[in-house]
Amino acid sequence: MRNLINFLFRYSAWILFIVYTVASCVLLFRNNPYQRHVFLTSANSVTSGIYSASSAVTSYFNLKGINEDLQRRNADLELEILNLKRTLSAYREKEYADSVPVDSSLQRYSFITAHVINNSISRSHNYITLNKGALDGLRPEMGVVDQNGVVGIVNIVGAHSARVISLLNPHLRLSCKVKGHNHVGSLVWQGADYTSAILEELPRHAEFSNGDTIVTSGYSTVFPEGVPVGVVESGMKDHDENFYALKVKLFTDFSTLSTVRVIKDSMTDEIKSIENSEVKPAKKP
Amino acid sequence: MSKLTFKFILLTVILVLLQAVGLNHICLFGIAVGFIYIYVILHLPIDLSQNWALTIGFLLGLVIDTFSDTQGVCALSCTILAAVRGKVLKLYLPREEELTDPCPSFKSIGAPIFLKYTVTMSLIYCTTIFIVDAFSFFSPVILLLKILSSTLLTWLLLIAVDTIISHRDEKRL
Repeated sequence: MRNLINFLFRYSAWILFIVYTVASCVLLFRNNPYQRHVFLTSANSVTSGIYSASSAVTSYFNLKGINEDLQRRNADLELEILNLKRTLSAYREKEYADSVPVDSSLQRYSFITAHVINNSISRSHNYITLNKGALDGLRPEMGVVDQNGVVGIVNIVGAHSARVISLLNPHLRLSCKVKGHNHVGSLVWQGADYTSAILEELPRHAEFSNGDTIVTSGYSTVFPEGVPVGVVESGMKDHDENFYALKVKLFTDFSTLSTVRVIKDSMTDEIKSIENSEVKPAKKP
Repeated sequence: MSKLTFKFILLTVILVLLQAVGLNHICLFGIAVGFIYIYVILHLPIDLSQNWALTIGFLLGLVIDTFSDTQGVCALSCTILAAVRGKVLKLYLPREEELTDPCPSFKSIGAPIFLKYTVTMSLIYCTTIFIVDAFSFFSPVILLLKILSSTLLTWLLLIAVDTIISHRDEKRL
């Protein structure tokens, strides 16, 4: 008996080592994950508490990335909708006149996601600065939108940044129409309130009611047709009695702009060249 | 409770939290993982009995297992590491030298011996843990890469921790 105790005492380190190794191996090779006690997994209260505390802090670090992903996803979906709409209208045209060919370039519009790095709403002529420039594919006279509606038009492009004329700038006149009708007016900001603008030069016979949505007309290469701009708040008489003017509440919240999308129209150059050639007088021999 | 015990408990809590919250989520180049908590085993006093070292190693491994949901992998590796700790120290340490501080660190055993000691221990630990981990999936090249890169990373982390702790101790004096 004494020998046994002596033996145990002398080799206690080895015995302990073997015991611990066997215990670890039992844990390691117990195959059924459902039989494990919750105490030995990360689901126990101490570990999960520590993990949730740390993720409460670290999850904020990813918000920017998540937001950008969502914006990109949103852009993709919007692009898909635009393409589907174009396909639909192309088929409608085809149905209307079978001889009309389907547009070969359905992928006319694409988006470039950019971050607003500087923005003002309080000045009389407001501009926005983006963190993307010519190297990212931005060109002057591209339209800029965010998830709610129109933001502005790119005006000066640097290598890595671009300046956008905000919709809150009297220099920018946006061709718009009341959704569902084809009477076109011109939207301009009056310099007072960053939530609303005036739709001018709407023909007197145009139909509208308060609450109607104002969308872009698509009469330029800057914005595709039907990008939401705002809703009609109230109608008022223009200086010229032949036209209406509408007060429009803008969809875009210019005070909280963060990520925007720049619309790239692949047909810009083509349309421009056609328009320019029409303006030029024919050369006389 | 002696001051040394308190210091070790604090050290263990900090290193385990660092590992669980930070380092477990970092995998450099997809292969290198840092194991900072083995500093607890490395820093145990030289004259501590083997039984205590083994027990501390096993429990530490179990706690890490709980955090990272690796059943028994760390417990086994830490037990083995604690078992070879004395042997490795004896290998490098000149026999008849009186140490001022019983805990191995840069200061107490000198830079060359400490660097050799930590790199050997890191290599042993990374080898064990990756071999144990690779029971189900075995690919020699990746395994070797993982072991070597993780050893390097762990080694650097151990040196960093040691520097910080020695610095704090100095300040306190």
